[in-house]
Parts: sequence; C-alpha cells; structure tokens
Amino acid sequence: MEDVLDEVVSSEDLKKFERVYHEQLHASNVTQNAQFEYAWCLVRSKYSADIRKGIILLEDLFNKEGEALKRDCIYYLAIGNARIKEYTKALSYVRAFLQIEPGNQQVQHLETTIKKKMEKEGLVGMAVAGGVIIGLASILGLGIAMAKKG
Amino acid sequence: MDQEVLTTLKLLMIGETNVGKSSILLRFTEDEFNENMQSTVGMDYKTKQITIDGNTVKLAIWDTAGQERFRTLTPSYYRDGQGAILMFDVTDRHTFTKLETWLNELNTYCNKIDIVKMVVGNKNDLPNREVSMEEGLEFARRHQTLYIESSAKTADGVRCCFEELVEKIIQTPGLWEANSTRMYGGDSLGGTRHRLGKRGVQLTDDYEPQNPYSNCYCSLV
Ligand SMILES: Nc1nc2c(ncn2[C@@H]2O[C@H](COP(=O)(O)OP(=O)(O)O)[C@@H](O)[C@H]2O)c(=O)[nH]1
Ligand SMILES: [Mg+2]
Repeated sequence: MEDVLDEVVSSEDLKKFERVYHEQLHASNVTQNAQFEYAWCLVRSKYSADIRKGIILLEDLFNKEGEALKRDCIYYLAIGNARIKEYTKALSYVRAFLQIEPGNQQVQHLETTIKKKMEKEGLVGMAVAGGVIIGLASILGLGIAMAKKG
Repeated sequence: MDQEVLTTLKLLMIGETNVGKSSILLRFTEDEFNENMQSTVGMDYKTKQITIDGNTVKLAIWDTAGQERFRTLTPSYYRDGQGAILMFDVTDRHTFTKLETWLNELNTYCNKIDIVKMVVGNKNDLPNREVSMEEGLEFARRHQTLYIESSAKTADGVRCCFEELVEKIIQTPGLWEANSTRMYGGDSLGGTRHRLGKRGVQLTDDYEPQNPYSNCYCSLV
C-alpha cells in the first residue's frame, strides 16, 4: 500500500518553490516560509540528493528562532530521513514528536509505516541498537510551540 | 487477492480546523476513532482501495490542517483533485458559514472544472446541533454538490460518503479517463468501458443522476 513515504512531489511544484527560494537567496533575504516550502518539496523528491538537501534546510529551520514551523519541520525530517533509509534518525524524530504529542495518530501511523519498511528490508535490529542520535533537549523546546497551537 | 485497479482518484478534505476531517479519514481508512485527535501536521496523504459495483479504484486522499503558513502551498493541494469533501461541524455554525469561503477557494484553485463536490455535515452524533439538515441540504442544492451527514465517532455515513463521491466521479466523463488511458495504453477506452459493467453505459452518455438517495440520505440536488 502506498503511503506518505511514497508520495512524490510534482516537478512543477519543485521548480516553482526552488525558483522562489533561489530568488530570495540571491537577494540574501530568505524567508522561513520560502525555505520550508522548498524543503517540503525536496524531501518528497524521488532523488536522494534532493532529499538530503531538503533535510539540511529543515534542520537549519529547526534550529532557528521562531517556533511556528518546528512541528512541521520535525515531521518532514522524519519523512525525509525515512525516504533515504536513514531509519534510525527518522525514528528518533518520530519519537521526539511523540514525546510531546503522545497521542498523535498521524505520527504514530508514520512510525508504523517506517517500522514496516524496515522489517521488509530486514533492518529491525538496527533501530534498537541505534539509540537516540539527535539532541532531544533541543527538540523538547518544541513543547512550547505545540502547546500554543490553535 | 489483488484486484485490478481501474484508476487512481485524488480526493481532497476541505474545511475549518476541528470539524473532523482527519477523524473521518481515520475512520474510513483504519476504522478507528480518537477522542483526542491532534491537529494535522503539514499535509497528510492516505491511500485506500475501494470496490464499487465490481470496479476497484485507488483513492489518494489529501488532508491538511489548513494553517496560514501553508497558504502558498494551496494551489499544489488542489491541483488535479477529482473529488472534494467540504466538511463542517453541525454543532458549530461558524464552520458552516465558512464553507462558502472554502468553496470559493476550491473553485479558484482547482483545475478540473467538473470536480465532484460533497458537503459533509459531521458530528451528527452530538445533541447540540446548530445547523439543521435542511440548511445543509439547501446549501448543497444552491451549490450543486452532494450532501451527507456523518459521524466519525459512530461511523455513521462515513463509508457512504466516500462511496457516493467515487460513484459520482466514475459517472462523470472526462474527470478520470485520462488516468485510465495511461494505465491501459492504446485500446484503453474500450477496455475500460467493458470493465465498468453496468455503469459503463453512463460513460458514453451525459451524466444523469441515477438514484440520488441510494442507500442513505446522500443527495444530489
Ligand atoms: N462527537 C464527535 N467528535 C468528533 C467527530 N469527528 C471528530 N470529532 C472530534 O473533533 C475533534 C477534531 O477532529 P479532527 O479530525 O482533528 O478535525 P480536523 O481538524 O478537521 O482534522 C477531535 O477531538 C475529534 O475527536 C464526530 O463525528 N463526533
Ligand atoms: Mg486534521
């Protein structure tokens, strides 16, 4: 069954948001929205080079001021990492998210999807051995952002 | 057993936050309900296969929280949508009033003119109604959409909502045939019509509502 990890961005979208981002980059004035939108397209690309680029942009956004985008960033960081088979990293983002919103069905579902994928690829043991590799402390700052959401 | 898929249809969930869009989707895809549903992250995407009158179609259903920061992404969300579920909460008049705005947005961004629209009054399990079924139907009639009431909690109307929507899409010529052409190659149309069985006839004719009330109070008005 197809899922959120298989869904691919249209080249139209990728080009459109790439253009906006590069225009702003050129003018040395990249807005967070433009960076997020471009990254959102990149992590849904079928090319892993794009996905990696998207992950870098999301990580950068995540570490910036402004809490509003953090919730979306962490979700798409999980998706991006899972798509390039960085499952351990993907799962640690998922777990960090679930630590703040334990009942989030959508993210629970993402976790199941990732685990199924790993199982299919015979990688189940790895996740257990991998441990947490992203700074949970910084992610826990998310609590504030998420508590504020409407 | 894997059935041959006739086509893939893109459906959109539209409406104010908190009306139950994600809950309806969860009920439909997993048959679950969550009292403490959290707001949707980014754009969610779920697929499900359903078989209607012997035709199996794959549904690709899009759902979003509709936050302000996703505004610029809106056109991508709507593009190529073949069916739209416009949802309000029958216990919250504001969400019903806002449907007009959502419908405008849909008409602005959707590139398929004859996209099938279904207005859904959700949470009809609750006693404190603010919008009557008559008002809902009247709105649907005015805007020429389908209408149904549902509850993600009790599952009432949920399957019916998607089935009716898909049935209407399949009966609308031009909405999905391009897809099936891609799937079946050269002689696609003949093959497709054949596969459609008794409803296939309708593809060649102009669409006429067959049985608008069918097995629930889903209404084409
Ligand atoms: N009683 C009742 N509650 C519902 C129903 N559908 C959704 N809810 C609740 O309404 C809230 C918002 O639902 P959600 O699906 O997140 O709405 P969305 O923002 O439109 O996706 C959640 O607390 C759900 O549990 C329903 O049919 N009946
Ligand atoms: Mg939602």
